[in-house]
Amino acid sequence: MKIFQAMMSRRRFLQASGTAGAVGATAAGITGLTGLTQAKEARASRPRGETKITKNICHQCPARCGIDVYTTDGRVHAIYGDTGNPIANGKLCPKGHLGSYFLYDPDRFKGPMKRTNPNKGRNEDPGFVPISWDEAFDTIAARLNNLRERGESHRFAHFYGRGWGASDAGLYGDFGKLYGTPNAAIGHASMCAEGSKRAKRATDGNDSYNSHDLRKTNYLLIMGASFLEAFRPYNNMMQMWGEMRSKSPKTRVTTVDVRMNPTMAASDRALYIKPATDGAFALAVAHVILTEGLWERDFVGDFTNGRNQFEAGKTLSKDAFNEKWVHGLIDWWNEELKDRTPEWAEQITTIAAKDIRQTAIEFGSTRPAMAIFERGPTGHTNGTYNGMAIHSLNALVGSLFAEGGLGYQMGPAYGALPVNSDDYLDDYARNGAWKNQPRIDMARTERWPMTSHMMQEAGPNHLKGDPYKMDTAMFYSTNPIWTAPNPKAWEEALKDVFIIDTSPFPGETAMFADIVLPESTYLERLQDSPTYPFEGWPMTALRVPAIDPIYDTKHFGDMLIEIGKRINGPTGEFYKKLDNIENVLRHRAAGFANAPGDNGVNDFESWKEKGVWYRKPYHWRQIRGEFYEWEGESYSKRMTPAEVKEKLLRTPSGKFEFKSGFLEQHADYINREMGIPKERVGYVQWVEPKHTGGNRDLYFVTPKTPMHAEGRGANIPHAISIHQPIAGGRDTVYLEVNPETAKARGIRNGDRVRITSDLGSIEAECRYVAAHRPDTLVLPFEFGHWAQGRWAKDRGPGHSGEITANVSDPISGLASYYTGKVSLERA
Amino acid sequence: MAKWGMVIDLDKCTGCQACTTACAMENSTLPGETWQDVLFYHEGEYPNAQMKWLPRPCMQCESPSCVHVCPTRATYKDEEAGGIVFVDWNKCIGCKYCMIACPYGVRFYVDEKPLLEPDLREIFPGENQQLWSPPYQGPDEDWSKGIGVQPPGVVSKCTFCHHKVSKAPEGTVDLDEDNPAVKEYVPACVRTCAPKARYFGDLDEPTSQVNQLIGDKHGVRLKDHTGNKPQVYYLGAGAGVPAFQPSDKGDKS
Ligand code: SF4
Ligand code: SF4
Ligand code: SF4
Repeated sequence: MKIFQAMMSRRRFLQASGTAGAVGATAAGITGLTGLTQAKEARASRPRGETKITKNICHQCPARCGIDVYTTDGRVHAIYGDTGNPIANGKLCPKGHLGSYFLYDPDRFKGPMKRTNPNKGRNEDPGFVPISWDEAFDTIAARLNNLRERGESHRFAHFYGRGWGASDAGLYGDFGKLYGTPNAAIGHASMCAEGSKRAKRATDGNDSYNSHDLRKTNYLLIMGASFLEAFRPYNNMMQMWGEMRSKSPKTRVTTVDVRMNPTMAASDRALYIKPATDGAFALAVAHVILTEGLWERDFVGDFTNGRNQFEAGKTLSKDAFNEKWVHGLIDWWNEELKDRTPEWAEQITTIAAKDIRQTAIEFGSTRPAMAIFERGPTGHTNGTYNGMAIHSLNALVGSLFAEGGLGYQMGPAYGALPVNSDDYLDDYARNGAWKNQPRIDMARTERWPMTSHMMQEAGPNHLKGDPYKMDTAMFYSTNPIWTAPNPKAWEEALKDVFIIDTSPFPGETAMFADIVLPESTYLERLQDSPTYPFEGWPMTALRVPAIDPIYDTKHFGDMLIEIGKRINGPTGEFYKKLDNIENVLRHRAAGFANAPGDNGVNDFESWKEKGVWYRKPYHWRQIRGEFYEWEGESYSKRMTPAEVKEKLLRTPSGKFEFKSGFLEQHADYINREMGIPKERVGYVQWVEPKHTGGNRDLYFVTPKTPMHAEGRGANIPHAISIHQPIAGGRDTVYLEVNPETAKARGIRNGDRVRITSDLGSIEAECRYVAAHRPDTLVLPFEFGHWAQGRWAKDRGPGHSGEITANVSDPISGLASYYTGKVSLERA
Repeated sequence: MAKWGMVIDLDKCTGCQACTTACAMENSTLPGETWQDVLFYHEGEYPNAQMKWLPRPCMQCESPSCVHVCPTRATYKDEEAGGIVFVDWNKCIGCKYCMIACPYGVRFYVDEKPLLEPDLREIFPGENQQLWSPPYQGPDEDWSKGIGVQPPGVVSKCTFCHHKVSKAPEGTVDLDEDNPAVKEYVPACVRTCAPKARYFGDLDEPTSQVNQLIGDKHGVRLKDHTGNKPQVYYLGAGAGVPAFQPSDKGDKS
C-alpha cells in the first residue's frame, strides 16, 4: 500500500460514491486495536495566550491580498484575508493560508553565508559557512568598488522577480544610476506575462495589464487566462465569480482553452482550441461582429450612410466609414479581416465554425462584455498578434474604460524619497564608460527593440561573452537557473559569475551563490506594495512584521541600502541619507497627508494599523463613446481628444489602433524577424506560430494550478499534498494524457513515460484524462527541482523547463513556454 | 441551543481548495489529514467532457453511523454544542470502526505511513503527548472534543471549528463572515471561501440564512438513503455526489 490510512478513507468514499454505498470490510489498513496500550493523560480545554493580529500582504502570487496574521505567544498560527483590504475582503485563495509554513520552513537559510567550494554545479556541495552581515556587505562592496575603479561597473547585474516591495524595487533604478550599471535591474517580465502588455501597447498604447470592472460585466470571453486558477488577483477573481454567477442577469462566460480545467468546467461554454491559434479565433469573432452589425457605434463609429456594408470577402472604400475612437478599421477589414470567416478559423483552431459564430453573436450583442487573455495565447512566437486580436474585441464592443469594462491601474499618492539621486551623481555616474554599454540581456537594444526585459537571454549571453561577461550578479525573488527555459544553459553560465542570492530558501540559484544574504519571509518584513492592476483606482498595501525575524535574516531593501552605503563616493552618501527601508516608507507615506485614503489612512502609523491605503473611484470613464474625468462627484468633465490621447488611448493616433503605429515604427525589425511584409506589420492579424521542440506530434503545455505559489510552494508539504487534485496528484504531479494518445503508444494509465523534445527528455507518470485534447499533453508546473529544500528536491516529474527551448516572441520578448512540441513514449 | 448547519453551493464553488488549506491551518492537521477535502471527477471524452468537484467536510450527521459503532463512546454527538460530532481523544483507542462505518470517508488516522516524505512528524516531533508539534500549531486545545493536535493512536475529524463557533454570542443565527461582529467565530472553511459558496448557521431557526437557502434553492444532503441525515446541505443544479469516475481511479496502490 503506497498511501496511508487517510488516503484510503478518501478513496473508499470515492469508490462508494460510484457504487451506491458499497461500504465495508474492503477498507485496508485495519490492524487491530492499536491504541489500546497507550496511557495518556486526559486533557480538556486549555487556556490560550493573547492573540495579536498584524497586517501584511500575501507573497504567493501577484495579487497581493491584504492579510491578517494571527500570532499567539510569539508563534504565527493563522492567516485570514483582511476584511478592510479591497482585494481580499476577508477572503483568501488556497495559497494564502500557507504563509506560516513558509515562515517555519525547516530548510530556510538561517543567516548570511559564504561559499567555500569554488566548484559550482548540481552535484557540488557549496560548502557554505556562516559569516557576519558586515563581512558579507564588505565583501560585496569591495568587489563592486573594485569593478567601478576599473571602469567595469556594467558587469554588475541585479535580477529580480516577484519581490513587490515596490519601494525596495524602486531603489534599484537609483542604484544603477549612481553606481553605474545598465543592469539594475533586469526584471523577469519576459518570463512572466509580457505578451499581454505589449499587445495592449500596440493597440491602445498602454504598456500594462488591464484593470477590470467585473462586478458590472455581463459577458466574459476568457482565452487562455486560467481565470479560476491563476489569473490575478485570483482571490478577487473568485469573489467576482461568485457575484457574476449569482447576479441577475447572470454573467455569461465562454472559455477558450487548450485543456480541460476548472474555468472551462465552470463556464457556460467551453471551447477547446489548438495551442497558439487563439488569434485566428478572435479574428473570426471580430469578423462576425462586423458582418452581423454588432459593433458599438458610439465607440467605433459607423458607415456614413448608416447601412452595414461589412460582407465577407468584400473590400470597402475608406470614406464609407466614419471612425470614432478606432484607427484603421476599414484598412484592417480590407487587408485582413474580410477573409477571416468562422469557416476559415475552424481549419486553424479546430473550433467548429458554428461555435465561433454563436460566441461572436453572444459577445457582440451583450453589453458590457470583456475579452480577457493571458499566457495561453501569448506564450508563443505569434503571441503579441494573438493578444492584439483578442484585445480588438474589447474595442469593437466599446468596453474600454466603460462601466463593466477594462481600464488601467493608477499609482498611489506617494511622497518623495528623502534624497534625490540626481544630487549624488559623480563624474563616473554621469559620463563613465558604462554609459555606452548595453544591458547584458540586450533588452531595449536593436536585438530586442520592443522589449522591456529579456532575463532569459542574460545567462546565454554571458556564456557567449556577447555583449560581455558578467562579473557579479545579485538575485532577488527570482531563480532563473531553474525557471528559465532551457535552464541548463544557465547552470553553465553562472559557474564563473560571483553570485549573491537573497532568497530565504535554498533554491537552485542559491546553490550557485558565492554569498547568501537570506531575506526574511514576508511575515517578518516591513514592506509596501502598490496594487497590481485591479479595479483601476489607486491602492497600496503594507507588510507589518508579525514577529521579529526568527533567524538572522534581513529585508532585501535594507540589504541594498547597506551595500549602497559601502560604495565609495557620493553613492555611499546617498544611501547613508536613505538609511533604511522604514525611513523610505515613512517618506512614501507622507504623500497620504494630502490624499487621505477612503479608510482614513493619512500617515505611516495609520497605514501600519490599517495595512492599506486606497482612494476610489477610478478617474476616467467612457460613456456612450465620450470620455469623462471624475470631478469629485461624478464623471462630468468631458475630455478632449488630446486629453484622451495623453491619458487613456496613448497610441500615435490617440485611438485604438487596428493598424498599430507602434508596430509600424519597428517595421524593419518585424519584417526581418517574422517575415511579415513591412506594409502589413501594423495590422491585427493572423500569424502562423513557430513551434519549438522539433518536428514532433504532440503539444506540451505546463499550466499553473491554484496551488502554484510562484515556485515557492514546491517545498511546502501541505501544498504538495493537494497540488494537482484534478488528476489525483497528492504527492507528485502526473502527466495528464488523453487515453487514445497514450494507448496508441502502448502506454497504460500509471505508466512511467518519457517526454522528449530537441533539448532532451524528462520522465513523468502518465495519468489518463479523457477530457483533454488528444494532441496536447498537460504537465502542471511546479516540481522537478534539484534544490529548494528537502521536500522539493527530486520530487515528482522531470522539470518541464529542461525540454522547453529558449525561444521568444520577437515583439514582446515573452518566452514561448507553451509552444513546445514533444514526443511521448513509455519509459 | 442552535443546531449548526452548513450549506455549500456547488454552482458557486470554484474548486479552489482554500477551504481545505484554511482548515489545515486552523486545525493544525497533517498533509493528507484533510478534514475538509475537495473531490474531483471527470466524465466523458474530449470534446464533450465534463469536470466536477465536491467540497466535503464531516456531515455532522443527525444519525451518525460513526457514533453507533464506537466501542468506547469516544465518538459522540454533542447536542449541547449544536449537534457537532466529536471524537474524545481521551477515550479513543484508535480501533477505526468509525472510519469503516462513516459513509462519507471523512475520518482520519494518521499514525501510519505519511502521505509525504520526509515525515513532518519527525521534523516537528511530538511534545507534551502530541503526535507532532509544529511551530505553527494553533493555540486552541480541547482533547475531549478532538480539538488541537491529537495524541498518537486516535482518529481525528472536522469539528465544525467548535473552538470558534462556540464563542459566538448566544443567540447568533447566521455565522456570516461578512458581519464583522461574528467573523472570528465562523468556521475557517466558510470564512475564507472567496466566491461565498459556503454558509453557516442555525438549522433550528427558520429564518436563518442556511434554512432560507435550503428552502429556496432545494438543498440536498449527500447519500440520503443511508439515513445519516447530514447537517451539511448542498445547493446547485447537479447537487449530490457526481456519479462520475473518481479522478484518481488510476492509482496503482
Ligand atoms: S490570490 Fe495571491 S495574494 Fe491572494 S491569497 Fe492567493 S496567493 Fe495570496
Ligand atoms: S473555498 Fe469555496 S470555492 Fe474554494 S473549493 Fe472550498 S467551497 Fe469551493
Ligand atoms: S460524516 Fe461520518 S464522521 Fe461525520 S458524523 Fe457522519 S458518519 Fe460521523
